[in-house]
Amino acid sequence: MKALTLLILAAAGLSAQRFYSDDPLEFEPKPYPVKDAHSRKLSDYYDLLNNQFRTVGQRQPKKGEPIRARAVNTMGEPLQGAWWQKRHYYQRMSIEELKRIAPPEALPSMSSKWTVISAKNEGVTPGFTIVDANKRMFYVKFDPLGNPEMATTADTVTSRFFWALGYHVPHNNLVHFKPDQLVLGSDVTLPDRNGKPRKMTRADLLEILLKVPKGADGTYRATASEALPGKPIGPPRYNGIRTDDPNDVVPHEHRRDQRALHVIDAWLDHDDSRAINNLDALVTADGVSYIKHYQLDFGSTLGSGSTRANSPRSGVYFFEWKSSAKQMFTLGALPPYWQFAKYPNYPSLGNFEWKVFDPEKWVPEYHNPAFLNRLPDDEFWGAKLVTAFSDEDIRAIVSMGQLTDKKAEEWLVECLIQRRDKIGRVYFAKVLPLDKFTVDGGELSWVDLGASLKYLPAADVSVQWYNFDNSSGARTPIAGQTSKSIPTVASGYALAQLTDRASPSHKIDVVLHYEGGVAKVVGLERYW
Amino acid sequence: MYMKKTINYRPVLLGLASILAAASPVLAADDPPPPAATRTAEIEAARDAKAADLTPDEDSKVERAFIKINQDKRIMRLFAAGYSGFGLAIGNMVTGGGFAIGPKYSRPDLLNGNLTVDVSAQVSTKKYYQVLGEVDAPKLFNNHLELNFLGAHRNFSSIDYYGRGPDSEKSKRTNYRMEDTAFGAIGIVKPVRYVSVGGAVGGLLVNVGPGTNSIYASTDTVFTEANTPGLQQQTNFIRSGVFGQVDFRDNPGGPKSGGLYNLQYNWYDDYELGQFGFRRMDIDAQQFVPFLNKTHRLALRARATFTESDGKQVTPFYLQPVLGGADDLRGFRPFRFSDRDRVVYNAEYQWEIFAGLEGAVFFDAGKVMPRRSLLAFSNLETDAGFGLRFNARDTTFLRVDIGFSHEGFMVTAVFSDFFRSRRLGATREAIY
Repeated sequence: MKALTLLILAAAGLSAQRFYSDDPLEFEPKPYPVKDAHSRKLSDYYDLLNNQFRTVGQRQPKKGEPIRARAVNTMGEPLQGAWWQKRHYYQRMSIEELKRIAPPEALPSMSSKWTVISAKNEGVTPGFTIVDANKRMFYVKFDPLGNPEMATTADTVTSRFFWALGYHVPHNNLVHFKPDQLVLGSDVTLPDRNGKPRKMTRADLLEILLKVPKGADGTYRATASEALPGKPIGPPRYNGIRTDDPNDVVPHEHRRDQRALHVIDAWLDHDDSRAINNLDALVTADGVSYIKHYQLDFGSTLGSGSTRANSPRSGVYFFEWKSSAKQMFTLGALPPYWQFAKYPNYPSLGNFEWKVFDPEKWVPEYHNPAFLNRLPDDEFWGAKLVTAFSDEDIRAIVSMGQLTDKKAEEWLVECLIQRRDKIGRVYFAKVLPLDKFTVDGGELSWVDLGASLKYLPAADVSVQWYNFDNSSGARTPIAGQTSKSIPTVASGYALAQLTDRASPSHKIDVVLHYEGGVAKVVGLERYW
Repeated sequence: MYMKKTINYRPVLLGLASILAAASPVLAADDPPPPAATRTAEIEAARDAKAADLTPDEDSKVERAFIKINQDKRIMRLFAAGYSGFGLAIGNMVTGGGFAIGPKYSRPDLLNGNLTVDVSAQVSTKKYYQVLGEVDAPKLFNNHLELNFLGAHRNFSSIDYYGRGPDSEKSKRTNYRMEDTAFGAIGIVKPVRYVSVGGAVGGLLVNVGPGTNSIYASTDTVFTEANTPGLQQQTNFIRSGVFGQVDFRDNPGGPKSGGLYNLQYNWYDDYELGQFGFRRMDIDAQQFVPFLNKTHRLALRARATFTESDGKQVTPFYLQPVLGGADDLRGFRPFRFSDRDRVVYNAEYQWEIFAGLEGAVFFDAGKVMPRRSLLAFSNLETDAGFGLRFNARDTTFLRVDIGFSHEGFMVTAVFSDFFRSRRLGATREAIY
């Protein structure tokens, strides 16, 4: 019955006009107030098992029309708002701006001591939560003993990339401090050996510092991640919607900003990209409380595994029936491609490389419904964000990781450049890689991203113009209109279909709206 | 086609809904129809519809159970470290002893980890018993000195014995009870990384009796004191020794690269009867040759044990080196061969099947011998087989091997890695 209702509702939507007066919408409408969002927890193990062995979320149909990404405007761009906003690709940031993504003001104040208000002494990733003189809270995270600078570099660098890509992230900055910078707050507890809380002592604090690398000058290097504004309410999943959020109306597995994360995470080797590393926070802006979605915890990127160098398995699932059976019954005689990777010995980087990296084969540690639903236009969108970083941009952001070993830093830069280029070559070739459409001097103009970035030869494009009926979606060819020159239309809509002569299935429909004799690009749809 | 016996319409309708809803890029398939003339109004209509039907965002019952286990670390601790130090000791008693389990009390946290205490008592499915106690100070002198005090009592009711020498017959299988109590102190000096040297001193009190496995004859009914020294009369020993070790394996719990080279020399002084004193030298060399990013490797091991005694003294049969079972010749039964000396070579090819599981193909060769001069690569007993290694956090917690030899095949499941290191200062692997 529910499905029937959906069908009726969707059919009703079909009868509606294709474009509205406010298309293409840039921003999500002002959010509805969220009054009562409970903090939702997540079990790491459940998330793994559920995603690995069950079909979670709505998947692409095996036959027929695929489910295109939603939560996008008529230009195919995600709406700016609670999930994402336009940044570097759309308005290039200067080198200085890129370096100031997490501004120095976001550092904890060193003017007085930091008060430790909680600590983690279990496992191999110790850390503190501190409050500085300005009453701001920070999460302080360290490197593993065997890999100084590794996890902190990854966290610092990758969070900046994510911010420039448009995602909401906390400010992660490097800090160096001596133990006397820390004072223990009152009533701080640690679990005893039975898990019961006991009062934490200064000796406990110093013992935690014994588990992390100490610099020659007696300082400790860490990332200070500023606590996010608002009330944390748990991680958003890569599928479904929050049932208590009126603004969350598109299943996450169908959001372009989530599907395209596959491309971005492959670039940065963020194989730990699972729900537990995301966070929803109930924030207030302009007097309205709403849920904002953050990406967090980038310590397991760029070859780092947070607590040690990342496994060479990075970029493959923990488990797959087919490959496991193949390995078992061939006695490992047919090794998969990733086993041939050669990693230079840079302890401050872990295992990061570009030569065997294949963006299309790369996967996170276990199934991710949004990633699995991605289509070539989702990949193109992710790839255009990634390839927007020039060599100099990459070098500038990597420098914020403050790697002592300059050879390691150069290797990191080289890997990111080469991986970026592989992404550009692979994903721009799957569609007609034209973007940034405008009407200029009576012509429809665009940027051929494949050619301009030297990944592909310039696309040989044919143009056919149509009159476009906005109420029915019907299109009628305009005779003789086969150039970039826009047709003369008093008002209404025209559609240009661009076709790649080398790959005729690669097309783009570009819709123009004429108002007062002025044409404006309002719609864009890619085909492959 | 629609009229066929497709009872479940939901997937069809959902598919159609998805296709139709694609015309509205901003909205999901389950959004309401757009009644307004702007995209903003369309989205707001969808929000209106949802706002009217908000429900608490809750986890499923199964996930809540997972979260509870995750949050309540006491459950995890119970498995990992026990409660208040109390937990379960599982497996690792003696080859061929069956599945062993029992309580343990473990405190690795005393004096901020500078002192550890472990006590355990186990019983196995073959009704073997073992009680172990150990106090260890591992970090003395800035981690350069370790002092260890230990005691053990074990009672293995049916240890197999086939007679002495490489030509012992499989059909001569007998069994005997082995009961002993050991105690000692060990000092380990770690002058530089990878290297350990030290010494040990202690006592070993032994009693041997009739075996309880009625399917096979008791050893004392088949063999005699003349061909099986120590069968009728047991004694007690003062045991002392020295050892040295170079260990540069990458991960002792499940090594993937590096090597381990260990030599121990021990004196067994029969202070009670003066008949069974002997000296024993153990050599253990392991090397791991990884390839394809350590996802594949060749693991090689050579072990040798030599005993010697002076004058009329002899090495008692229950302390002679043995071969066979899950720890050396995997295609033969436990304790299949015994004599004064032994040598065994193991080669294992290991490869990753998926994260957490590795496969292994192995070849074992070894022999026991009455004299060291027979050490040459001849007359070796051989077997081959395959197995699986289950890993967690790079440590093998379970291995299953199937070994084939001319005497048949053996299936073993053991809660430890085949290439584990010997305890420094220990003189018989069955105990320590």
